[in-house]
Amino acid sequence: MRFLALLRKELRECLPWMLLAALVFLAFGGFFLRALAYDQRHYRYYPNFSSGTLVEHVQLTQHTPLLLTGSCLFCSSLGLGLILGVRHFWIPHFTRTWPFLLHRSVSRKTILAAKLTAGTIAFVISLGTVWVALYWYANQLEAYPIPQTVRVFIEGWIFIMLGLVVYLGTALSGLSTAKWYTTKILGLAFATVIIVTTFSQWSLVWAFAVIAISVVILLSLIFDTFLRREF
Amino acid sequence: MTETVLQTESLTKYYGSVLAVDHLDLAIPRGCICGFVGRNGAGKTTAIKLMLGLLRPTAGSSRLLGCDSAALTPAIRQRIGYVTEGHRLFRWMSIAELEKFQRSFFPKQWDDKFFADMIEYFDLPKKRKIKHLSNGERAQVSLALALAPNPELLIMDDPTLGLDAAIRRQFLEGMIELIMRQGRTVLFSSHILGDVERVSDRIVVIDKGVLRANCSLEEFRAAVKKVILSFADSAPDEVNIDGLLHCRRSEKGLELTLVGTDDEKIAEWAKSVRAERYNIIKMNLEDQFIEFTALPGRKKMFRWEER
Amino acid sequence: MALWIQILAGSGKPIYAQVTEQISEAIARGELASGDKLPAVRKLAAELVINPNTVARAYSRLEQAGLVTTKTGSGTYVSDPKLRRSDAADINILTERMDTLITRGLNLGLESEDIIAMFKARIDKFVSKPKTGRGKND
Repeated sequence: MRFLALLRKELRECLPWMLLAALVFLAFGGFFLRALAYDQRHYRYYPNFSSGTLVEHVQLTQHTPLLLTGSCLFCSSLGLGLILGVRHFWIPHFTRTWPFLLHRSVSRKTILAAKLTAGTIAFVISLGTVWVALYWYANQLEAYPIPQTVRVFIEGWIFIMLGLVVYLGTALSGLSTAKWYTTKILGLAFATVIIVTTFSQWSLVWAFAVIAISVVILLSLIFDTFLRREF
Repeated sequence: MTETVLQTESLTKYYGSVLAVDHLDLAIPRGCICGFVGRNGAGKTTAIKLMLGLLRPTAGSSRLLGCDSAALTPAIRQRIGYVTEGHRLFRWMSIAELEKFQRSFFPKQWDDKFFADMIEYFDLPKKRKIKHLSNGERAQVSLALALAPNPELLIMDDPTLGLDAAIRRQFLEGMIELIMRQGRTVLFSSHILGDVERVSDRIVVIDKGVLRANCSLEEFRAAVKKVILSFADSAPDEVNIDGLLHCRRSEKGLELTLVGTDDEKIAEWAKSVRAERYNIIKMNLEDQFIEFTALPGRKKMFRWEER
Repeated sequence: MALWIQILAGSGKPIYAQVTEQISEAIARGELASGDKLPAVRKLAAELVINPNTVARAYSRLEQAGLVTTKTGSGTYVSDPKLRRSDAADINILTERMDTLITRGLNLGLESEDIIAMFKARIDKFVSKPKTGRGKND
């Protein structure tokens, strides 16, 4: 009951940014999808396309109409991660609301868990649903004759998870007590490194592994810092 | 047997090389209103935050309701009300939303009617967001939020800073209302000595992080005295009276600040140094506090000179 | 019965003393008659916005001075003036204070008859004109 109250409060704080990110992604992502779906260029690659032709999946993923949509998702995701990280872990310092929040009849772990859960839910609901919707639309034969591969779908979720990594990195930076020009930006720097590392190999397994490890590292650092920190 | 609800032992806090709280030893008994006074930057907020587990001590310990401050359990926190410095609340929430939020942490203790009555008394619209409230109105909401769960121990960090007299009075009324319930204790820090004098049973004076006084208000009021002596010839060079805190000289007079010296001893000493006249000045709490925390040898900032 | 007490925090006088003095004065003026009940400690504390212990202390001072009596479970009542005893110490203090006033009066050049007349006039005013401004209740 107390956790729910905290969760509700943290989600409510995410709400405007969730809507913003979802709308921005929907607008730009949808626009590019529509634009590319009817782009004649696609038919250039498959001049001899007729039913029964085998098309390699690599060609599908590289020439998916969701290409630019994916980039929009990537940018929206990173942006949302940064903003939510700031909202949850930087703003309370400026509004000086930490003492009020921390004097709750729950453990500090619970307070932190509520924030992180809210952040995760925010990503899933706002960007996740729009991505599912756009992916479904791209699969409609009226929009594009060749159905999309699952890989494209998974890649979208990888972008969303990278946004979560940025969220966690921003959170860690926000909780750090160092001055901003020294170890404070470590969290953000780490997130950036993870993003670059993910793209260094074009492999889904690699991406999942890197993200999973980075999330574990970030979460343990965040919990450790939060529980020990002075406010 | 009176239980100690708040106890600190050699509580010390360093910020880098700056000593904010210096070996604080306190024991606040249940059922009293304790006024926590000190000059700006004396360490009151730091001490309070240490007690509530928001800061970690460099040395020493603190216990609230028998529980170590560094590890206050949720059950203990439920019994403690805390009015934070500056009354900082979530700006985007409305009063009604804040009530719902706060209430969910006190499912059995929350007094709906009490909260509603207070908000109505303050004439605050429930739908208004915190960011649209003035400082005073936010303080009122903060008070209602802290009192409605009927806390066993209420800790208030400078709750009336910058607020008008009417709101200050409301805070005092709230404190009195709470203390009249069984077994409640209030600790509040304040700069307004008049308010402290009105409602406190005990006074704790902290100066530059050091505990200077920890006693009943009565004792403090009786202990800090100012005596003015005038002499026919010149004041004695050596002033060796018990309890001397400060001594200011003029040509033919002495102004002494004494702590804990009996009136009889003063009379005796005045006689022994052959003072022409002596006068024990009646001081109010504010004057006593200023004298008590003044630096030794302090001269007055402004001097009027005869032309 | 109207009891009006004005508390000045920040004057030199302790708050319990202010309460004690003002209740004493009310009794002397006749605003509080013998047998009248004083407000409950909590009620007065809440009204004056002072600590209940301060009120309790004031009441106990009044009881020591013999002006009121406390009946457990019932409350605090103004005592019967005939039953009030003033001990030698109280009389001494009263005498000393009268000496101070007499000295002052004589130093100002007043005659003893003038001083007595002044006293009488003040006493008459004191008892007949209560602080509240209303007429004396009998």
